[in-house]
Amino acid sequence: MIRFLFKGLIRDRNRSLIPFIVTATGVMLTVVFHAWMTGVIGNSIEFNARFASGHVKIMTRAYSEYAGQSPNDLAILGTDTLTDLISSEIPEMEFAERIYFGGLIDVPDSRGETRAQGPALGIGIDMLSGGNTEAERMNIPSSLKSGGLPRNSNEALLSSEFADKLGIIPGDEFTLVGSSMYGELTMHNFILSGTVEFGTTALDRGTIIADINDVREALNMFDATGEILGFFRTGTYNDEEATLIVNRFNEKYSSPDDEFSLLMKRLAQQNNMGFLVEYSGKLKGILVSVFIVAMSLILWNAGLLGGLRRYGEFGMRLAIGEEKGHVYKTMLMESLIIGFFGSLAGVALGMVIALYLQNHGIDLGIMMKNASVMMPQVFRARITPETWYIGFVPGFLSTQLGTLLAGIGIYRRQTAQLFKELEA
Amino acid sequence: MGSGKFTALNGIDLTFGKGEFTGIIGPSGSGKTTLLNIIGTLDVPSEGSALILGQSVANLTPASSAALRKSKLGFIFQSYNLFQVHTVFENVEFPLLLQGIETAKRRQMVLDALEWVGLTDKIKSRPAQLSGGESQRVAIARAMVKRPAVVLADEPTANLDAANSHNILQTMEKLNRELQTTFLFATHDEKVISYVRRKIFLFDGKVARDEIIDKN
Repeated sequence: MIRFLFKGLIRDRNRSLIPFIVTATGVMLTVVFHAWMTGVIGNSIEFNARFASGHVKIMTRAYSEYAGQSPNDLAILGTDTLTDLISSEIPEMEFAERIYFGGLIDVPDSRGETRAQGPALGIGIDMLSGGNTEAERMNIPSSLKSGGLPRNSNEALLSSEFADKLGIIPGDEFTLVGSSMYGELTMHNFILSGTVEFGTTALDRGTIIADINDVREALNMFDATGEILGFFRTGTYNDEEATLIVNRFNEKYSSPDDEFSLLMKRLAQQNNMGFLVEYSGKLKGILVSVFIVAMSLILWNAGLLGGLRRYGEFGMRLAIGEEKGHVYKTMLMESLIIGFFGSLAGVALGMVIALYLQNHGIDLGIMMKNASVMMPQVFRARITPETWYIGFVPGFLSTQLGTLLAGIGIYRRQTAQLFKELEA
Repeated sequence: MGSGKFTALNGIDLTFGKGEFTGIIGPSGSGKTTLLNIIGTLDVPSEGSALILGQSVANLTPASSAALRKSKLGFIFQSYNLFQVHTVFENVEFPLLLQGIETAKRRQMVLDALEWVGLTDKIKSRPAQLSGGESQRVAIARAMVKRPAVVLADEPTANLDAANSHNILQTMEKLNRELQTTFLFATHDEKVISYVRRKIFLFDGKVARDEIIDKN
């Protein structure tokens, strides 16, 4: 009997090939969509984490209230020992000190008079202590437009557009005019080592990037830092784990009564990133629900049409003596086979496309050119363990559900009614 | 808008014996197919009773009526209703698959049935490759392969030309005589009427005439 049904399934394209294609296509789209959305959201989250928020960020309570203004007068002190201490207490993360600051770039002419000036937003990161962890984290080496990374003290990078505007090239000297953490006017000379272009307006407008120790010297911030950013060693943000770390840290170091006590914030608590993190978490549920509903409707419809087309066959089988329950069971068996192989093919096909998108990505730099938010230029899909089953399970289930619904219509008809329709 | 109720048969009192070759004759809407459906346990009478091979149709559960159809009743329709994606052999084999008959015996029974209808050379053909007459002969083989007690044929010649009609009627008549299978035809085709040995005329759901023809 199984052979008989299997032969029918293989030979009847309307029964096998069309539902197979529908299932495989749906599953493939789900797999690709899931990998793409996971990648895009992940890329955006990680991009923001690398440039601004870290997976967690430590500040003083007072600094955190005005973090958008980078108030270095409220910076963390005693960082020489503090960062090492925190690193040993939270081994699952690596920590990096950063100073975000504002100032004015002044370019002198040959006589020392101001030739060009422009407001700058600066980032001080560790660039000279060996290894380029922070530079690579911020994707600086591949964003270099001219020159090179700072190799010596008092060398700095400027965003390419800004350097062009100021009319300087690598090797030229410029002055950073700023204010110290104590409110004094400061001036510090830098040599332009290179220019960078990140492809994001927010970063390309007027950025200066220098080694953190030079920035400390320039802003009179010895043994201090504006922020300490923490990054999971796994490389990806985990909100649940971050919450536990944040709670543990704040319980130990933070006091509402002391505005200079330390406060740790997770990525989701900064820069309106909570929505993205939450959406990323709910993505699976949304995808699966939409897919099951949509696919079930399509397959229900396909099953009904297929069932209508097969009234003759069902009627005849009932007349010959097959029980309704058995006819229904064989329909489900057929859809089980189609669902399994269709979903399998969909996963395989989806994975190939997702893998391509993961390795090559899509360059949306043109669309991001004028974006004021920090977004990467190249978006890549990301295949996670979920990607393997997120399409398969609903694909398989919805074929069953579609057949169940379609079959009920046939099952509930009187045998004689099926016959009337069969003979019509 | 009608009430939705329609009396298809009224006051019918008929008995069919083993080996009969009977035509239920009447115009469209006279109740022929309804009578055949009741005898075939595909429908139940709203009033009265119908006994099929000693069993009351009204008392049959879905499972027991399916079991009765599986082993004792065969159906032939005007539009053949063959499984289009299966071969002639597979079409005829299907009722035996339902009965769970073992492979070798099943194969022999299918070949026997195809020999009765003269289609042993077409076992691998698909219905689409057959003529109307050949398709109806496959349908007869499928109905007969399980050696049923009763074969119910609803307008079996309606889609056939005269030559093919006579051919399949002769085949059925031969099987009726050799296997003592009861054949009940619902028809208004003169060709079928000329073959049957009992004619039951239905009109407006009632038996208008019941004639037994002596063909000896």
